[in-house]
Amino acid sequence: MDETTPPPPPNEASPPPPPPITTSGSPTDFLKGVVGKRVIVRLTSGVDYRGVLSCLDGYMNIALEQTEEHVNGTLTNRYGDAFVRGNNVLYISAAEAL
Amino acid sequence: MDPSSTGIQEPFDLIRLSLSERVYVKLRGDREVTGILHAYDGHMNLILSDVEETIMIVDVDAPLEERRAVKMAKRKMEMLFVRGDGVILVSPPSRT
Amino acid sequence: MASQILPLELIDRCIGSRIWVIMKSDREFTGTLLGFDDFVNMVLEDVTEYETTPQGKKKTKLAQTLLNGNNICMLIPGSAGPDES
Repeated sequence: MDETTPPPPPNEASPPPPPPITTSGSPTDFLKGVVGKRVIVRLTSGVDYRGVLSCLDGYMNIALEQTEEHVNGTLTNRYGDAFVRGNNVLYISAAEAL
Repeated sequence: MDPSSTGIQEPFDLIRLSLSERVYVKLRGDREVTGILHAYDGHMNLILSDVEETIMIVDVDAPLEERRAVKMAKRKMEMLFVRGDGVILVSPPSRT
Repeated sequence: MASQILPLELIDRCIGSRIWVIMKSDREFTGTLLGFDDFVNMVLEDVTEYETTPQGKKKTKLAQTLLNGNNICMLIPGSAGPDES
């Protein structure tokens, strides 16, 4: 599924190294780690949505909770829940430690 | 995924739970509508009734950083189809 | 036949290093590449976003970020970005 997964260790070797603490590389891994966390979602228009990421799908459609809409750094709206259509998403950035 | 207490496993669940409710929809081109959600599909095509569209009128002669909506016009529509590709955001009524 | 390298193999070799991402619009990113997928959605760490706005250049620092591959135009491996020169 993912080329970045390390190969299994040889049989005779010492116990496998512990998995990395931080979420590993792929977009899927990032998304698994970031669900339930505070995120910043920036749209291509430059508008930011800050909130708790409830879930998302393969199109990057996003459901956010406690959402704040920021335009040029100023708060312009609040939504309890918000569905953001994926095609507008520029990035999803972690706003708290993963 | 994290099946939180809200029962939302995928983003479309949020929309599904808003059927027959009044939703706020933000669209491309600075358009905003609210209406009762009757139907949706995977493209986010929407059928809304009892719709109120808010139109932002912007002064294009103002300097860019001061360009705010100078006037908000409203108009009403009984029944509306929204093409999914114009949708930016859908916000259901708050679940409490 | 000369040995061929696929474009995405080159990017795969950049995992763990700094990379400079130039979008289709007036927007650029630099960061450490953690991974990417077939759509070239990219996970970056220690990110700086560069925007060219009518009011001038704007820089934003970001933590771990998933960048949508849809708007990416070019990738410059091993570069610290527009500040390097």
